[in-house]
Amino acid sequence: MALEDFAAEMDRCSQCSYCKWIPYDQVKSWRFAKNCPSIAYHNFNSYSARGRYAVGRSLIKGQSGYSDTVRDIVYTCLTCGSCDVSCKVCRYNLEPLEMVRELKFGLVKDGQRLDEHQALINSLNKDGNTMGKPRSERGKWADGLDLPRLLMEKTEVLFHAGCRLNFDSEQQKSARVAIALIQKAGISIGIMGENEMCCGGRIYSMGYRDEFKRLARANLTAWSKAGVKTVITSCSDGYHAFKRLYPQVGSQVEVLHTVEFLDRLIQEGRLKFRSEIPMTVTYHDPCHLGRQGEPYLPWVGVEKKIKGQIIVYEPNKPRYNGAWGIYDAPRNVLRSIPGVELVEMERIREYSWCCGAGGGVREAYPEFSEWTASERLAEAKATGAEALVTACPWCERNFLDAAETLKDSMKIYDIVDLVQKAI
Amino acid sequence: MTLPKHLYKTLEDIVGTRHISDDPAILDSYRYSLAHTAIHLGPFYDTFTPRGAAVLLPGSTEEVQAIVKLCNQYKIRFKASSTFWSAQGYPSEDNTIQLDMRRMDRILEIDEKNMFAVIEPGVIGATLQAEAMKVGLNTHIPGSGCSCSILASATSYFGSGPSNLYGGWHYENLLGVEWVMPIGDIFKIGSLGSDCGWFCGEGPGPSMKGIARGFLGAKGAMGVFTKCAIKLFAWPGPKTLPVEGIIPAYRAPLPENFRAYTVAFPSWKAWADAAYLIWETGLGYLAHRQFNMFGRDLKYAMVKILTDPTKTLGDLEELLDDPEVQKVTEDSMRDFQIVLVGMTPRDIAWQEKAFDEILARTGGWKVEAMNAPEIHDWALLYLIRLGHKNLNLVFGGSYDGCFGLMGAVDFGTTHVEEAAMFKKEWEKRGAVVEAGGDCTMGPIGGMGGGGTGLWENFTCFDPYDKESVDGTLEFFDAATRYGLEKGWGVGMEKWNSQNRGPNGKTTPKEERDRIHLGAPQPSVFRYQGKVREAFNPNDLGDAYYETLDG
Repeated sequence: MALEDFAAEMDRCSQCSYCKWIPYDQVKSWRFAKNCPSIAYHNFNSYSARGRYAVGRSLIKGQSGYSDTVRDIVYTCLTCGSCDVSCKVCRYNLEPLEMVRELKFGLVKDGQRLDEHQALINSLNKDGNTMGKPRSERGKWADGLDLPRLLMEKTEVLFHAGCRLNFDSEQQKSARVAIALIQKAGISIGIMGENEMCCGGRIYSMGYRDEFKRLARANLTAWSKAGVKTVITSCSDGYHAFKRLYPQVGSQVEVLHTVEFLDRLIQEGRLKFRSEIPMTVTYHDPCHLGRQGEPYLPWVGVEKKIKGQIIVYEPNKPRYNGAWGIYDAPRNVLRSIPGVELVEMERIREYSWCCGAGGGVREAYPEFSEWTASERLAEAKATGAEALVTACPWCERNFLDAAETLKDSMKIYDIVDLVQKAI
Repeated sequence: MTLPKHLYKTLEDIVGTRHISDDPAILDSYRYSLAHTAIHLGPFYDTFTPRGAAVLLPGSTEEVQAIVKLCNQYKIRFKASSTFWSAQGYPSEDNTIQLDMRRMDRILEIDEKNMFAVIEPGVIGATLQAEAMKVGLNTHIPGSGCSCSILASATSYFGSGPSNLYGGWHYENLLGVEWVMPIGDIFKIGSLGSDCGWFCGEGPGPSMKGIARGFLGAKGAMGVFTKCAIKLFAWPGPKTLPVEGIIPAYRAPLPENFRAYTVAFPSWKAWADAAYLIWETGLGYLAHRQFNMFGRDLKYAMVKILTDPTKTLGDLEELLDDPEVQKVTEDSMRDFQIVLVGMTPRDIAWQEKAFDEILARTGGWKVEAMNAPEIHDWALLYLIRLGHKNLNLVFGGSYDGCFGLMGAVDFGTTHVEEAAMFKKEWEKRGAVVEAGGDCTMGPIGGMGGGGTGLWENFTCFDPYDKESVDGTLEFFDAATRYGLEKGWGVGMEKWNSQNRGPNGKTTPKEERDRIHLGAPQPSVFRYQGKVREAFNPNDLGDAYYETLDG
């Protein structure tokens, strides 16, 4: 695909501004009605999906050219996909998230890159991670754990920790907990250790499509050699990459997020809680586990018209609108923990507000990223919850940092850590 | 045009660096495609409204006032818009400064006892309704949907919508107004002007609503409305809509005092009689011919798609072949939707009984398929929140209304069938969606009856397809000629043409004068000309405040 392939959508976008709000049916208050952090923070139309359609059109028609402003407009998109969900309440023939990604791919291809992103890519090329850490430190989080290390050994089930859980010393414990919970259920699971590579999901969302493909193919080759049939991850970015993006480069590996696995164990009675945790919590749906966590459905087809001018697709095109993301599994897990009371924020499930860490925004626009997280903390506080629980280390990190800056007393947990407390 | 540096800097000092831009990419996101739908003008392929000289995001009345005064000093046009639903909110001329009012989006007050809210321009229907419901109140939402500015609807447009019946048109609901006049002075309209609060739009205090709004709203051509009070009405329901279901098939199972019906009639006369009886009886919370916007032949199949999250437009043809769908489609040919809301159990019982009597007298019936719980609760939510208005564009990406004339329902019902048959013939040519000719929709009048009935006949097309755009325009031209020939007058498809032409800019004065002189009441435009001379001496608005010299 190229930006020009979205020319029809640029004309068919009606500039209605639905992309700026959560689905209107779900609006419960003035305070928490917006969905897109980018337009909510920057305010100019250009920072919404409708505006980005217009900017894309202006670029391909040559009416405007690249500028610092254009780079900001494009790279401040978190690719959280909330615009996509709201747009598709009514529209069946627009793909705003795909279009914005294509804008990013185009800018990267044309050399319109951000220094902050390039530094990350350099780190990836040199050390195989997006965290700027030496390659040799990868896998150290699992030191002391009795785990098969691929490729020296073979296992059918692989735990992929991902860049953040590998290198963020404060968060590494969540990976260890996840492994302990999986092993407790009698599952033989292995890790890639120092051979693990970045999933590529985050660089894909920054616009580095070719680099993503290279990583995906390398990971799939390694998994194939190790006989991996199932990948479990606690990282929602990784989940999305493996579940939605890797099949596009040929993956047939089963992908599970740790919360799906835990939910399954609890339902089957294979995971029992022994301690009570008297705590009111609220749950943050990570964008890449929730609305973007829908399974990939292969489709090759063409647009056609019926009844004169109704645009449909031959064959029927899969519709990704957040309807079938992973929402219930984490809630089931939380509700099954004795003493935990789950209270919901106003923006949840497919219309959840983003944490602010995605799309390369955390790296390039830290102030905006932190504001986005602080908005979510405010929403969490409005529920009366003591803790904000999530299922993605990137979300957790962004909330932890924002809470520290704001001196906010809200506790932040990865869901596995809360489960561990109750066992 | 790029603004002179010193002027840009002065404006930047007013709103702050973050809230002004003249970057071409930013400016191009404030242009409206006339290929898409010009809102009753075109469409015209590959044409856009003019690029502004700068976009500003004012954050307060004081900032707006400073901008307007500066514009007067340098004789620069300005155009304010809040939610940008239509071409009318964008500049009509080059060298115009676009004010995007989205930062001024506060609900300043909800006066529960006196049943009104004080709002800024960026407040949309959905957020005001959500806040009002918390205190047992509701807001009327304009037909353009809950994504649109309530203030703009009330101060600058018709403000008509499905809840006209109980909630009133928004121009009727407009109370106190804070107006930054075209010369930059601040004027407080109604009781606000006498420091008596926001409760009244006329007096005690200056009764200036007519001056400020002009004929059917000034549409951003006469200064900037920065705050207003809007009348609210009773909401005997939960504090938050209890929304269930999988996107997009959201639904709201509301208590027993809420009922949504689709009713149909054996003839258009019976349809009109039912409307009159509804007004005479004083029942109903909301009444609209809504889902017929998909077209007489497609509407029930579309309802089936929209209430089933596994379905897409690709399932449409299969659904149309389903005998059950065909039966319901046939059964609901001349239909409308009505929501009954009881303030008490006795009230809803009475309304139900009275409505059944109306149906009995007119030979009408409830379309039972629309009473299936998942469809009923979906329709109830749809109509109350009006959060799916973008379904107007679901088929090909664009639509515009044609025919659609203001008048009593007797008038609408006499022309609706003939207009539909005329359109149906054009649909066969392929430029517009083949939907059965009758895609007529709109409110069942206003409070106490009258007003609009059978408002507009939706015409759906593909703005990316030149043949579709050109064919639609050809059809609209034919529809206008047909309407004139039949004595119905110029339809909605040309309503915007007196203000904005095919190039996206102001219609030449000679053409505007010709149209206004031919109008039934040309004196209205002469009067407005005098108003403009007095209140907008530098003429920094645009032709949406319609005037005639002399």
